[in-house]
Amino acid sequence: MAQLTTIGQLPLNQPPIHHYTAYRPRPFKREERDKVTILYGGLTWKHERLIQGTLHNMKYNAEPLPNIARDDLDAGKELIDVGACCPTIFTTGSLVNFLKKEVAASSKGEVANKYVFLTAGACGPCRFGQYHESYSMALDGLGLRDFRMFLLAQDELDQGPSGGGGLEINLPLSLGLIWGILFGDLLSDLEYLTRPYEINPGQTDQVLKASVEYLYRVFRERPDHGAKYGTLAWHLLTNYFTNALREVCKMWDAIEVDRLRVKARVKITGEFWLQTHEGDGNYNIKRWLEQEDAEVVPPPVAVWLHYLLHPTIRKLEHRHSTSKHPRLEQTLLQALERIYRWTYNRFRKALADLPNELPDQEELRELAEPFYHFELRGGEGHMLIGKALHAYHHKKAHMICELSPYSCMPNTMSIGSMANVIGKYPDLLYAPIEVKGDSEVHALSRCQMILTEAKRRAHEQFQEVLKKTGLTVEKIRKYEERHPETRRATHRVPHLGYSGTAANYVLHLAQDRGLARA
Amino acid sequence: MPFQTLRTWFERKPSVAPPPKDRSQLRVGIARVLNVWSTHQFWVAFLKELGISSENIVFSSDTSEEQGREFGKGRGTVDCCYPVKCISGHYGELVFGQKKKINILLSPMIHSLPSILHGHVVDTVTCTRVMAGPENIKAGFLKERDVFAENDIVYASPFVSLGDRHMVTEQLFTSLKDVFDLDLEETARAVQAGFQALDSFTTKARQRSRDILAWCAQNGKPCILVLARPYHMDPGIGHEIEGELQAHGYPILWLQYLPGDDDLVNWLFEEDVKTGRIKSPFDISDVWTSSYSSNTNEIMWGAKFATRCPWITCVIRLSSYECGMDQPTYTPSQKIVEATGTLYFKFGDLDSTKPGGGIKIRVETIVHYLSKYSEEIIQRKLGYLSPDCPLAVARRSDAAVST
Repeated sequence: MAQLTTIGQLPLNQPPIHHYTAYRPRPFKREERDKVTILYGGLTWKHERLIQGTLHNMKYNAEPLPNIARDDLDAGKELIDVGACCPTIFTTGSLVNFLKKEVAASSKGEVANKYVFLTAGACGPCRFGQYHESYSMALDGLGLRDFRMFLLAQDELDQGPSGGGGLEINLPLSLGLIWGILFGDLLSDLEYLTRPYEINPGQTDQVLKASVEYLYRVFRERPDHGAKYGTLAWHLLTNYFTNALREVCKMWDAIEVDRLRVKARVKITGEFWLQTHEGDGNYNIKRWLEQEDAEVVPPPVAVWLHYLLHPTIRKLEHRHSTSKHPRLEQTLLQALERIYRWTYNRFRKALADLPNELPDQEELRELAEPFYHFELRGGEGHMLIGKALHAYHHKKAHMICELSPYSCMPNTMSIGSMANVIGKYPDLLYAPIEVKGDSEVHALSRCQMILTEAKRRAHEQFQEVLKKTGLTVEKIRKYEERHPETRRATHRVPHLGYSGTAANYVLHLAQDRGLARA
Repeated sequence: MPFQTLRTWFERKPSVAPPPKDRSQLRVGIARVLNVWSTHQFWVAFLKELGISSENIVFSSDTSEEQGREFGKGRGTVDCCYPVKCISGHYGELVFGQKKKINILLSPMIHSLPSILHGHVVDTVTCTRVMAGPENIKAGFLKERDVFAENDIVYASPFVSLGDRHMVTEQLFTSLKDVFDLDLEETARAVQAGFQALDSFTTKARQRSRDILAWCAQNGKPCILVLARPYHMDPGIGHEIEGELQAHGYPILWLQYLPGDDDLVNWLFEEDVKTGRIKSPFDISDVWTSSYSSNTNEIMWGAKFATRCPWITCVIRLSSYECGMDQPTYTPSQKIVEATGTLYFKFGDLDSTKPGGGIKIRVETIVHYLSKYSEEIIQRKLGYLSPDCPLAVARRSDAAVST
């Protein structure tokens, strides 16, 4: 090996050094608000439109990114490091394609000044916490380093002005965003429990669109009640939002449904983005399932928000927190959790109790405990196993369809642990679907294999309940003619121990409406 | 026999230590995987303090294809990164491959790690797959029947936050009390012994790295830094690539044991702190803002250290197949290292197969570049630093002789 010179012989005229620096957005100033549009995305069009209502209410210009398309996968792959999970690639690609289009229509400088991108911030060890690294890499690739991107922490409602004061994460904004997300969930529940049974094809989608637009206006016109406790009390205690939901309920009342169609009930679980998304990013699997004679149980974002409260409560229970008053904090957090569930149930009630209730987080934890430790963080943690077992034990669905992005770190771990669950509960129908974004046929055919068995079980249950009640389809049809309210979308069918809607409906007519005795 | 009165019955007994519990016959198997590679000193000392003799603490072998074939076949439950996937073979070896059977299989779910960057970063948690790996792998041994119970083995997988020391005693007591018949006091003593051993080893290893750097500074010789996760020290996962390079005479440093002495890091990061780019030499917020993951944070800090340290003229990046934690770091770590012209070579997508021929060719290429450019790199990097080098200042005259 060659001998090398050392200190004392420093070369002259050393070129300046340029150390690598992570992306940092230039400030988004308050005075720029009127000229700048906030871009955001990552949820369904319903959630995003309602969030837009809140942002418009707070006097921001705001626009959701276009819904994810197959082209976004290619655009994302071109600009970020290899091996990324498909939600990272899709969401990066979506931003890239939007910016490319805008740059083509104007210029890079104009786009960098006209838009800022707001995305959810980090929550821990999963790659979700590093999405923004991919976004910034893509911005570099596009030559748009000057474009501004800001992170929104998930665990603070009042973060104050950030990044120059143009965006202020305060209580009215946070509550508006959370309420918007909850309303998006409630509407999704209505949508998926109605559309498979609608008599007039397309009517559900029309009513859904009208409902979203109506609620958008409700959010946009939300009155100002101050920046702190006044607004909190107003959101929690007044009828402004529940009255709006009652109006929505009236719109849905117009939809006629046929609940004697026997459908397999399929609960969607999985990685957050993939399970929430409706579009090419998950092969439009929810719509596809409906075409395949299934009723989809969509995953509410509300469950995730509820889950976020729990690690802090657990920490305080174990006194691991560095808090000076752990008991007080624990009590406050438990009270907050109760208020959260109470609020969600209040909204459900305004919609005739049609949307599904939130599962009890304690129960999810206990169900998952033998298979997956509840303190393992990242992604949905123990919830995927908890939710699958919850649906199984409570007969809430015939099968579980778990959407897992290729190379998703937390998801692969719980899917592996599900092998143990299936060993203990071999009749639990479970379809883990790996989504790469470009292997649709393979993914859907895997799902179809399990779905076939789920449909068989749905039909079996339906025949069983007919036999049990002594009813026939013809007899029920005649009853429905006399009682048209039972064919309305807003007629609530209680869960009476069967997984399928048709079976519960027959039992409901027989037991609650006295049809079996008639 | 004394007659027991109420007074004597309820009298507070003198404080007498209970007789030590005899655990000398207990045999504990530990899977030599993941972050056990950087924390095994803790586990050995912890068990020894509980009375388990050294010869009864058994580690599984280094990872190998044979191990997976013989002991892990049919136990995998999902496709994931190789460092997690290979754990099935380690469990299988501990269950089926021991001449003298183990009683307990200990496979901790390590949630957070001790780190030199603690207090300078957001958190020091482990990769989500790494912490959950044991839950995933155990499923393969329980899905049809309880393989552990059939072999009279107690499976113990404590959830433990080694990066948050105040939590460890309670965590280990809660999860292991029935396994080892523990009481809280002895658990606390064992945890203390564990951390003492771990700290002592880490201090020695860091000192050894400093000695190597000092030797390089004295002799004007380059060395290589391995940027990788702790389990890449496993010959079956890292494929001993660094060993091939060392055979060419280049000393090897691992980022996990880089020296963090004030004099050295202040010298290396002097300009950055002075200009306000960072708050301290251990601050990585200038290059990595989502500093949650312990090993990722250290990779970033290691890259910063390497790009500034004159005698580290080459960085070897090792990364396993489908590593989701590494994926977003590829470009930033390369850009950090190459900013000063330091050589950077990445061996990515490493899995069970050792691509011997490919490694040999690449090693030859690396050695060629090292011999050609190291001198220039050292000189250039020295030019960016103050002349008050704490490594070479005492022996500058020696270095001049060797030049």
